[in-house]
Amino acid sequence: MGFEIGFAIATIPTILSVVGTTLIITALSCAGAAGLGFAFEMIRRSGWTADYVMRFVIDFIRATPVLGWLYFMYFVLPFYGVRLPTTAVGILGLSVYYSGYLAEVFRAGIDAVAKGQQEAARALGLGRVDAVVFVIAPQMLRNIAAPMGNYFVSILKATPYLAAIAVPEMLGSAFDIASDTYRYAEPLTVAGVMFLLLALAVTGGVKQLERKLLKADRR
Amino acid sequence: MMSIFQIWLGILQGLHVTALVTLYGLLFAVPFALLFGIAQHLTTGLARFAVTAVIEFWRSSSVIILLFVFYYALPVFGIELSAMTVGAMVIGLNIGGYASQSVRAGLQALDKGQSEAGSALGLTRAQVLFMIELPQALTAMAPTFINQLIQLVKGTAIVSLVTLTDMTFRAKELAQIEYDPVAIYTSLLLAYFVV
Amino acid sequence: MQEHSLAPAIDIAALNKWYGTFHVLKNVDLVVGTGSRIVICGPSGSGKSSLIRCVNGLEKYESGTIRLADTPLEMDAAKSSAARRQTGMVFQSFNLFPHLTVLANCTLSLRRVQKKSRGAASEIAMHFLEKVKIPEQANKYPAELSGGQQQRVAIARALCLNPRIMLFDEPTSALDPEMVKEVLDVMTSLARDGMTMVCVTHEMHFAREVADRIVFMDQGSIVEQSDPASFFAAPTHARTRAFLSNLLH
Repeated sequence: MGFEIGFAIATIPTILSVVGTTLIITALSCAGAAGLGFAFEMIRRSGWTADYVMRFVIDFIRATPVLGWLYFMYFVLPFYGVRLPTTAVGILGLSVYYSGYLAEVFRAGIDAVAKGQQEAARALGLGRVDAVVFVIAPQMLRNIAAPMGNYFVSILKATPYLAAIAVPEMLGSAFDIASDTYRYAEPLTVAGVMFLLLALAVTGGVKQLERKLLKADRR
Repeated sequence: MMSIFQIWLGILQGLHVTALVTLYGLLFAVPFALLFGIAQHLTTGLARFAVTAVIEFWRSSSVIILLFVFYYALPVFGIELSAMTVGAMVIGLNIGGYASQSVRAGLQALDKGQSEAGSALGLTRAQVLFMIELPQALTAMAPTFINQLIQLVKGTAIVSLVTLTDMTFRAKELAQIEYDPVAIYTSLLLAYFVV
Repeated sequence: MQEHSLAPAIDIAALNKWYGTFHVLKNVDLVVGTGSRIVICGPSGSGKSSLIRCVNGLEKYESGTIRLADTPLEMDAAKSSAARRQTGMVFQSFNLFPHLTVLANCTLSLRRVQKKSRGAASEIAMHFLEKVKIPEQANKYPAELSGGQQQRVAIARALCLNPRIMLFDEPTSALDPEMVKEVLDVMTSLARDGMTMVCVTHEMHFAREVADRIVFMDQGSIVEQSDPASFFAAPTHARTRAFLSNLLH
C-alpha cells in the first residue's frame, strides 16, 4: 500500500475544517496561561512565604511534561466530581502548563523595569494596584512582547497533544479519518504539512506584531 | 488498592525507556545543533536559505504531529524504523533545531575582533572556528544547553503515544488497572520533577 | 497657602536604621521648621540619603520617631499614607515614567490618587510645568528631553501633589555640569516662595545662597549643623573641615 496523493487531497477539507478549533483552543489557552502566569507572579511578589511556595509551584510546573498535565486533568478532575468537556480540560491543561513559563517571563519583565520606577510611584502616593497597572505593567509589556509571542507559538504547537485526550483538533481529526479508513500515512502527512504552514503563518504574524510594538516604542 | 510505593515502582519501570529515549535523542540533537548552527553562521545566500529551511522545519513543526507522521508514513515508503528510533529522532531534531539557534547566536555574539585576531595570526577559517570561536561560544551557551536538555527529558513523554512503555505510558497503564488516577498521575508529575 | 501648624514641619527623634548588621542611621535627631531650607551634606555612605528616604517612607526604620507636622510616620510607611502625602520627593535619577508623556507623568497621581478630572489635573500640571519653565514640552516623552529638563519635570510632578515639604535626593548629581544651573534655579525660586525644603546635595554654592541651615553627616550621625555663614567660615568639627577642604580643593 503506497502513498495515494488522491486520497491525501481528499482528506484536506476535513482537516481544514478544524483549523478554527485549533486556533480557538490556542487563543483561549494563551489567555488562560497569561492570566494564570501573571497571577502566580503577583502572588509570588506578595511576601516571603508566598515567594518560596510559588517558586516551587512554578518550578514544578516547568519540570513536568505537558502530556503529564493533560492526563492529570483528564483523569483526576472527574475523580473529584469535576466533569468538563474534553476541550475545556485541554485548554485548562495547556493553561496550567504554560502559566509556569509565562510567570517566569513576567518576572523577568518586571525585574527589568528599573527599581526607581516603583519608588517614584510610591513617592507619588500611588497604591500597589495603581502602580502595577499604570507604571509597571505598561513598561513590562514592551520587555515581554518577544518572549511572550514565542510562548504563544509554543502553545499553538502543543495543541496536537490534545488529541491524546480525544479533543477534535487537527491531529485528532486526522486520526478520526485514519481509524475510519485504516490509512494512516495520508491524513497524518496532510495534518503535518498543514500544521507546519499554520505555525509558520502564526510565527510570522507574531514577529510582525513585535516589530510594530518596537516601532511604537521608538517614538 | 496499590500503595504509593507500588505506584512509584510501577512508574519507575518506565524510567529506563525515558532515559534511553533521552540518550538517543541527544545523539540526534547535539550533532544537528552543532552542524546546522555552524553552517548557518558560515553560509550566505542560497546555501544559508537551505540550511535555515531545514532548521525551521524542525523548529516550527509540532513534535507530536511529526512523531505520528514519521511513525505511520515512513513505512509506506519502505522505511521501517523502531518506535524508539522515530521518537528519539523527532524529539532530538526538534530540540536540536532550537539548540542550533543558540549555537549560531553564541557565535554571532562573539566580538568580531576575535576572528580577526585569529586570521591576523595566520590561522585558517577552520582553525579560527574550532580553536577560537567555538570554545568561547559553547562556554557561553552552557546554561541554555541545560535548559534544552530538560526540555528533551520532558519531550520524551510523547513516545508513550507510540506504545513505548516510558513513565507516562506506565502511569496510564497503572491507572487503567487500578483506578486510582489521583495518586498515580500525581506520582507521575512528581517523578518527572525528581528526574 | 496652607494653614501653618505650630509643630515643626519635620521632627525626627532618636532615629535608628540598620541594613542587616550595618547601622546606617545612629540616633539621628533633626528638627525642620516650617518654611526652612535645610541642606544635608556628607561623604557617600554617611546615611544622608537613607535619612530623607525614611522621611518619605521609602525606607523602613527600626526605632525612633518621625513626625510630619503633627502626624507620626509609622515605621512601616505603607500604613501612613496621610503623613507621607505631605512630602514630595525628587530623585537623583529622575525616575520619570518613560512610557508616559511629561503631562501624563504629572497628572497620573492627581487622577488616580486624588481622583481629579482630566481637565482639572491637566490645569494643575500645566501650572507647575510653567513654574519649572517647561510648559512647551508637555506632550513629549521623557526620552526626548535633556537631563536638566527631565529633572525639572520631576520637580513639577512632585509639586502637583501640593506637598508641604519637598525632599531632594542629590537632584543634580546625575546631570551634566551645564544643566545643573537650570535645576538649581528652579529650586532657588521654590525656596523664595517659602517651601519647606530638605536637600541632600554637594552644591555648596546653592547651600550658601539658599539654605538657612547646613547639616553635616558622617557614618550615620549628624556631626554638626549651623547656618551657612558659620558652617563655611568656622566649621567646628575636624571631619567637617576635612570634608569641606576635599570639596573645595
